[in-house]
Amino acid sequence: MAITKIVEVPLVIAEIPIGPQHPALHEPVMLKVYADGEEVVKVEVNTGYNHRGIEKLCEKNTYYKDLFIIGRVCGICNTVHTNCYVRALEYLLGLEPSPRAKYLRVLAMELERVHSHMLVNATMAEVIGFESLFMQIMLDREKVMKAKEILTGARVMADYMIVGGVRRDIDDAKKERIKDLLLKLRPRVEYYKKVFEEDETIVKRLVNVGRLKPVDVTLHSLVGPIARASDIRTDVRAEDKYDAYGEIPFNVVTRKEGDSWARMMVRWDEVLESINISLYILDHLPSDGNAVPDEKRLPRIFPAGDSYARAEAPRGELTYYVMSDGKSMNPYRVKIRTPSFNNIINSAFMYIGHSLADVPVILTSLDPCISCMERVTVVDLKNNTRYRVTVRELASGKV
Amino acid sequence: MSTKAEVLSKLAIRTEVVKPKRIVFVIRPEDLRKVFEELIKTFGPESFYLSTIVGVDLPAENKMRLDYYVHFIPEGETVVIRTFIDRSNPVIDSIIDIVPGALAGECETFDLLGIVFRGNPYLKRGFFVPVDLVQKGIHPLRKDSGV
Repeated sequence: MAITKIVEVPLVIAEIPIGPQHPALHEPVMLKVYADGEEVVKVEVNTGYNHRGIEKLCEKNTYYKDLFIIGRVCGICNTVHTNCYVRALEYLLGLEPSPRAKYLRVLAMELERVHSHMLVNATMAEVIGFESLFMQIMLDREKVMKAKEILTGARVMADYMIVGGVRRDIDDAKKERIKDLLLKLRPRVEYYKKVFEEDETIVKRLVNVGRLKPVDVTLHSLVGPIARASDIRTDVRAEDKYDAYGEIPFNVVTRKEGDSWARMMVRWDEVLESINISLYILDHLPSDGNAVPDEKRLPRIFPAGDSYARAEAPRGELTYYVMSDGKSMNPYRVKIRTPSFNNIINSAFMYIGHSLADVPVILTSLDPCISCMERVTVVDLKNNTRYRVTVRELASGKV
Repeated sequence: MSTKAEVLSKLAIRTEVVKPKRIVFVIRPEDLRKVFEELIKTFGPESFYLSTIVGVDLPAENKMRLDYYVHFIPEGETVVIRTFIDRSNPVIDSIIDIVPGALAGECETFDLLGIVFRGNPYLKRGFFVPVDLVQKGIHPLRKDSGV
């Protein structure tokens, strides 16, 4: 029978909210996904579920009280936040910590990088349905949490950095305990790296998903492991050589693939680098100078001026801008720009063209830290009509 | 090949320094787009990224200050492009079509300080600021906001 009539069925674009509370997300963010069948055609990133107004709070408190507020911007990377803020204050004062304090700071930050990268790799395993791997990684992550507790006194919220040094020193017995834990951890990390390289399920779910070209990385200001996985060689530790990074040998890990798999592999390689840095510090810790300065001797009022500190947080470049008017005990302005602020808000274009099941994979590969990001703002691509956004259009700013 | 300093000095009124040793090029607000166009033309889009936009309210001078922190990847160096705008009418051209990475920074600065980025279609109140402050029209990081 010949076809006499064609009935055109209108395509319906489904709007699917993923989050703010969702089994596939480990932090409160909402991705409003518009899908044509299984294919994602548009994504809006909606945040605002974790906002606390920390920049304003910093203006209302003294420089030294702000240290504790800033430690609470983000739980998982609190030492790197306080380090960046403390260095901004030290630039204002023209103060230099002792070499021992600098090495101890780097040690705390590298232990933090190890546990942060292990957490996101474990989360990735969970997101793709590999729960036993998630639990295995989390179990081994306890070793580095213990090491951080021995060094700073707390598993997570360390409050370790103070202006001019660190809050507590370590002795030889503690050094040996940390070293022992790290030497036990290293073969486990090497094993997990191999699992991510060879496991068929992981490779199928991650390879070629959310591929990023180097030019998109720089134009959209994406930072950290995301940039390095797309062969952009940028690492604040190597560029600014802050604290003791100028004296410690380490490699900047880059990959050429640019997909979700490459981002996770960059993180595994960085964990191994961080373990090596930590072991180097434990072997070469300088004994000159007092690591713990007397806080009472520090000036309460800072000289007028502004400073801009950068640090390589686990998620990428973290920046603090501190401005002093020279009159008040409170800072005039504190501006925090966290890596997730750029990486999550500017990356809505990455999801287009992938299937719905890939959305959590791409988001997790970006390592979202919502509490970091949400002192700030949200972006809404306000457009109710059906629209297919291409990377080219977005890059040209016409969308 | 021309250096960053040569390219930026052409449009700069004067230079300053933000500690530690970050060179600031103070430009006229109307030259902002020209600066970024020139940077992309001279160095290519893969050689730098826009790291941060910092807005500061300066009520004593009746001005608002905008700092664009641009990070050059091959040299590993951050330079600052600084401009001042009128506080009573804080409007500046958006650079989102030249550098899409400005999206997050421009939206944040609009919501917190009320600086309008002309040509950015995504600006919206209330992403970050709570509803009650939005209804009163308050930008919390302004010094006279009373927050």
